Amino acid sequence: MRIGIFICHCGSNIAGTVDCARVAEISTGFPDVVYATDPVYTCAEPGQAAIEAAIHDHRLDGVVVASCSPRMHEPTFRRTVERAGLNRYLFEMANIREHVSWIGKDRDANTNKAAELVKMAVAKLRNNRPLLAKSFEVNKKVLIVGGGVAGIQAALDCADGGVPVILLERESTIGGKMAKLDKTFPTVDCSACILGPKMVDVAQHPNITLYAYSELEDISGYIGNFTVKIRKRATYVNWEKCTGCGACSEKCPSKKTPDTFNELTGVTTAINIPFPQAIPKKAVISAEHCRQLTKGKCGVCAKICPTGAVVYDMQDDVVTEEVGCIIAATGYDLMDWTVYREYGGGQYPDVITSLQYERLLSTSGPTGGHIRRPSDGLEPKHIVFIQCVGSRDKSVGRPYCSGFCCMYTAKQAVLTKDHLPFSQSYVFYMDIRAPGKLYDEFTRRAVEEYGVEYIRGRVSAVYPDGEGAYVVMGVDTLLGRSVEIKADIVVLAVGIEASRGAAALAEKLRISYDNYGFFMESHVKLKPVETNTAGVFLAGVCQGAKDIPASVAQGSATAAKVLALFARDRLENDPQTAQVDTRRCVGCGKCIRCCPFGALKETTIRGEIKADVIETVCQGCGLCTTTCPQGAVQLSHATDNQILAEVNALCRC
Amino acid sequence: MPVLNSKELRIVGFLCNWCAYGGADTAGVARAGQPTDLRIIRVPCSGRVDPLFVLKALLEGADGVLVSGCHPRDCHYAAGNFYARRRLEVLKRFLPVLGIDDARFEYAWVSASEGQRWQHVVTSFTKRIHAMGPAPHFDDAKPLLRVADMALTALRPLGTAQNAAVNELKQVIKDKLPELNCVIGWQQGYDGAHATPLFMKTPEDVDKLSWGPFNVMNPAVYLPLFKGKKTGVVVKGCDSRSVVELLQENLIKREDVIIFALPCEGTLDIARVNEKLGRYTRINAVAYDEAGVTITADGKEHRFCMNDFAQGKCYGCATPMAVLADTRLGEPHKVNPVSSVPPELAMLDDMALSERMAFWRGQMERCLRCYACRNACPMCVCRDYCVSDSRNPHWMSQDADINQKLFFQTIHALHLSGRCTGCGECQRACPVGIPILALRQQIARAVAQLFDDYKAGLNPAALPPLLGYEAHEKNIHERDWK
Amino acid sequence: MTYAYYPGCSAKGSSTDYEKSTQAVCDFLGLTLVEMPDWNCCGSTPAHAVDTELSAALCARNLDIAARQGAEMLLTPCPSCLSNLKHAANRLEKPEFRARVDALLDNPAAGNFPAVTSVMQGIAAHCDVNDIAKHIRKNLKGLKLAAYYGCLMSRPAELMDFGDPENPSLMENLLAACGAEMLDFPLKTACCGASYGIPERAVTARLSGRILKLAACMQADAVAVACPLCQMNLDLRQPQAAKAADAFFNMPVLYFTQIMGLAFGLSPAALGLEKLRVSADSLLRKLEAEGGKS
Repeated sequence: MRIGIFICHCGSNIAGTVDCARVAEISTGFPDVVYATDPVYTCAEPGQAAIEAAIHDHRLDGVVVASCSPRMHEPTFRRTVERAGLNRYLFEMANIREHVSWIGKDRDANTNKAAELVKMAVAKLRNNRPLLAKSFEVNKKVLIVGGGVAGIQAALDCADGGVPVILLERESTIGGKMAKLDKTFPTVDCSACILGPKMVDVAQHPNITLYAYSELEDISGYIGNFTVKIRKRATYVNWEKCTGCGACSEKCPSKKTPDTFNELTGVTTAINIPFPQAIPKKAVISAEHCRQLTKGKCGVCAKICPTGAVVYDMQDDVVTEEVGCIIAATGYDLMDWTVYREYGGGQYPDVITSLQYERLLSTSGPTGGHIRRPSDGLEPKHIVFIQCVGSRDKSVGRPYCSGFCCMYTAKQAVLTKDHLPFSQSYVFYMDIRAPGKLYDEFTRRAVEEYGVEYIRGRVSAVYPDGEGAYVVMGVDTLLGRSVEIKADIVVLAVGIEASRGAAALAEKLRISYDNYGFFMESHVKLKPVETNTAGVFLAGVCQGAKDIPASVAQGSATAAKVLALFARDRLENDPQTAQVDTRRCVGCGKCIRCCPFGALKETTIRGEIKADVIETVCQGCGLCTTTCPQGAVQLSHATDNQILAEVNALCRC
Repeated sequence: MPVLNSKELRIVGFLCNWCAYGGADTAGVARAGQPTDLRIIRVPCSGRVDPLFVLKALLEGADGVLVSGCHPRDCHYAAGNFYARRRLEVLKRFLPVLGIDDARFEYAWVSASEGQRWQHVVTSFTKRIHAMGPAPHFDDAKPLLRVADMALTALRPLGTAQNAAVNELKQVIKDKLPELNCVIGWQQGYDGAHATPLFMKTPEDVDKLSWGPFNVMNPAVYLPLFKGKKTGVVVKGCDSRSVVELLQENLIKREDVIIFALPCEGTLDIARVNEKLGRYTRINAVAYDEAGVTITADGKEHRFCMNDFAQGKCYGCATPMAVLADTRLGEPHKVNPVSSVPPELAMLDDMALSERMAFWRGQMERCLRCYACRNACPMCVCRDYCVSDSRNPHWMSQDADINQKLFFQTIHALHLSGRCTGCGECQRACPVGIPILALRQQIARAVAQLFDDYKAGLNPAALPPLLGYEAHEKNIHERDWK
Repeated sequence: MTYAYYPGCSAKGSSTDYEKSTQAVCDFLGLTLVEMPDWNCCGSTPAHAVDTELSAALCARNLDIAARQGAEMLLTPCPSCLSNLKHAANRLEKPEFRARVDALLDNPAAGNFPAVTSVMQGIAAHCDVNDIAKHIRKNLKGLKLAAYYGCLMSRPAELMDFGDPENPSLMENLLAACGAEMLDFPLKTACCGASYGIPERAVTARLSGRILKLAACMQADAVAVACPLCQMNLDLRQPQAAKAADAFFNMPVLYFTQIMGLAFGLSPAALGLEKLRVSADSLLRKLEAEGGKS
């Protein structure tokens, strides 16, 4: 090889503590090095031009740049060498800024270390091979998992962009958590009125196929070519025939079915449509509560149904769909707040979650929009809101802020005053986090116009006073005194966690998730909706706490990603993938078992079983290379020989 | 170029590109001062760090090796660090048996945002290595030769299996023979004191089948060669574990193998037998009794009691009868269910680190690099593509130096992580009698300690621990870098 | 296990009924309490509030006596004494602190101190809940009780080692074993006002009133306590508390040992029930009536 070396000064960033000229001089002694220089700014245009010129003038077929971190400028310099006609992988970087000049002041030691890092890079480069990307076709169809507001927005934007969408929803209706809300902050407009039309659009859009009451069973494949299996759970109602007239639920005798849509604040019938604006507006039978399905006798709904849609022996159905990319928008659930024993731990009927309170406020809720205490149906006079129940609390393993509780608590306090003009609301808070547009103004209105009493401090205990009310004991940290408030109803702003089953879904999608089940984005700041699995995007709260506007924005952002991806007919893979040397492979399948992406499969070559890499699926982690005892699978650009060359360059001296 | 004399020691870091390398960058951006000793090799994932890279570095002169990747659960590749954690932990428990202080190797999880943590990890690890000083080298050690103490009590009575139902077995094999490609077993070798493998294709071949303490070879080693052809195999208990392991690894198919088993009462350590026989020209006779054999060589009688001359592995054997078989004839002796440390490993356990290094130095000087150990190993399935003979990948040079020889042994041992059944064929085949089985035994012990007493070759359906992971490992605990 | 028994000053004055019933119940269960010779006051609230070293010196002397007696465990019925002794023993583990305390004592304390624990925990360690059930002569079935621990017994959690500091349950376990119906009393570890009964009577009246009111609302037949000061505030000061709570109470406040004694069939006199300001007669009558029923 003919290798050229560029030891960057980075102004004084490197040259300040490294003798760059000396490093360049030492470098000329390394094998295959024919040229070495020390430009002041290598990444600047003249610096890059100098590399191109050197490649031509010295007939270089490999380049090492010693400068900043490759995480910073590796892509830059790869393009540089490519412009000069070299394969982009015949380039190596030595990080002598972040790992040398910036962390040590000893000039001799730094110079020596920099030279060694260059030596390592040269050793690796001598083992580099040109790598070429492969191109493959894209199936221009998207799967969206989760029909909350983020999923709905993503679905509509994709569909409007001409992309066929498959929208998957676990419940029998789309709408997610937003559909349960009465009003939304900071405008206090009706949630159903703004979400409803979007839900109808989903139902009517020719490009959207909706699978409600369905779950993702299995995923295989890779960006551009995923195969997904969808389990359509048995609804016991033929939705083709169901008109959503609701006659069945009027007559259903099993009237004590827990109403999950109403957050268990009320009861419903075993066959029901969760709420009037449900999409699809179709009935579902709860198998655990239906008399026909549990005891074998009843059959009222089948008799009453005008279209004969009830099918008691319906089974789950699994359908297969082919898509090119996937958007996860699985939202959140509330954390188990019963761990808070000091708030009654779920034993007091009038200590409820804010989502339950939302249902009490809602006209479609169990009380028809009249605020009544669950225990005795009386109108409360004193309402205490406790914020941060399961947020920012390390003692229950929830150190993060749930983001939107400050705002909805203010909204609920405002609505309470609207509903019950003679009531008094109190809010215990830690800090008010209202950074959104019009947010702080809104919380101020709650205090200034609606007379909500905000008390900065935590609540130590809630207990029934024995006379039908509850005593809320807390501390006012601004006044430095303890406070005791008699409340008729206590509303807990319960913190959120990733929706149940999120971890299992993440494993199917082969994406990472954090300790709380939230999906990991590719980069916290710069790739907030991408994941590390190509072709899988994130929208809404499944990625972390956020409110409705942010969820909608992310929904649209994912749609933009999908449309950008589908703007191309063919995709190119990253050629840093594993390669199988079929002569060395003995077909033991250890690599197949370990691969986190399912990128290896068995194949038969001349009657013998061998491993085979699906290059488009391979993400380049190299676990297979480590696993294969005979070294038959090698990760391109991080082969055993390349890493061994680096080890040897360092240790054999 | 040499390390800055007296100022620096040689510390090699393997860092994953996404978290740890990013963390080191973050530390740099924050100008978080660090010792200059560390040299970082960037890898895509901690899962890419083959434990052999670490060993290679340590054998080639590194004074310390640090591996760092994403925190568990944060892996860029979802699970790479989970696998790495298991493999690196096994490595950590393996190093001391070679005489390498395991404190010279460490792994730590650092995220891309944890610049301060990275600074702390590097500083404290470098401090630790400086406190330990330059790593001792095998080349510098004074050879130490020591022999394992074989005065042992077996977990079951050892004997010569004179009452084994060999004749019934022969009949069973003859009945099955027509549907089989061949049946692998043993026959008498060039004299009564040696056995050789027997490949039975005809009823006459079956009549040659022998059963007794000279049947030392593991017939499972031949099975992968017959892959795809229906083959019978006669096994001792230990051999059957190799069969199970081959099944587990998909290298043979259950429907292609018929297993015949008799209870084993132990096999002779031929090396020690030969040592006692001394130089001789001819074996005149071999007489069996229940407890041992009497060999007449050049007219002189030598008595070998099984209890004194069994192979080291036989003393701690808990599977005298095949763990998996189609035909089992006879009942094995009851095994006393106590745990025991194999004699070779016990010898090393009793040594100091420096003595172990000196021991392996002495042993490796005797190694011929003949690879008999590899060829005898039933789990060495790479066959013609062993990395020791390869230039791509080029793990080893052909130099006959101590480091290359010992590195080959560690490659073999680490490739057997969670796979070695302890059949001991590597050691038995060694023409110069190096107790290399001890290295495999230490790996097996570490695997058992870490992963719920897992033992290879007992259950064909088991998931080998190093091909799996738990998000929360019961027995692997994160180092405290506070 | 050899025990030393430290009764504390209250036992000799305001809470002789606690002392009497404690002795009677422990005696009945075969747990012999031998009073330490020549013990002194633990220092109570004033000592440690003013000078931790002096307070520790008082406790060190007591711990020393117990240690010289050869006791492995020091038992005390009073939570305040328990708290002082435990805090002192903990602080005395630091050599420099101990040196300063030793300087205050005529005879520096020697050797290791015995562990300190409450009589309640001592009883529970001596015989488990099943054993207690075997000793029952008069089942307390039908008796609704609120167990009230006060603020000291379980706090600070790491020092007092009394289970969940917010929700201890030992007293409930003991009394439930005697057949009583134990209410889930939310204020079981709330403050009764403690020594504010003297300088700021209104504070104690308000805090005690809150406790009594909730117990009354929950229809408790009595409040069971383990602290002489709590008992005094809830019982002796009940009229003041009632006034503060704007209510009327007739709530017997008994030591848990008195209640256990009743279950063991001991006579009211042996348990010192006559010392209560709010008579326990209502309780006894209810017990008779319930006994008649079963």
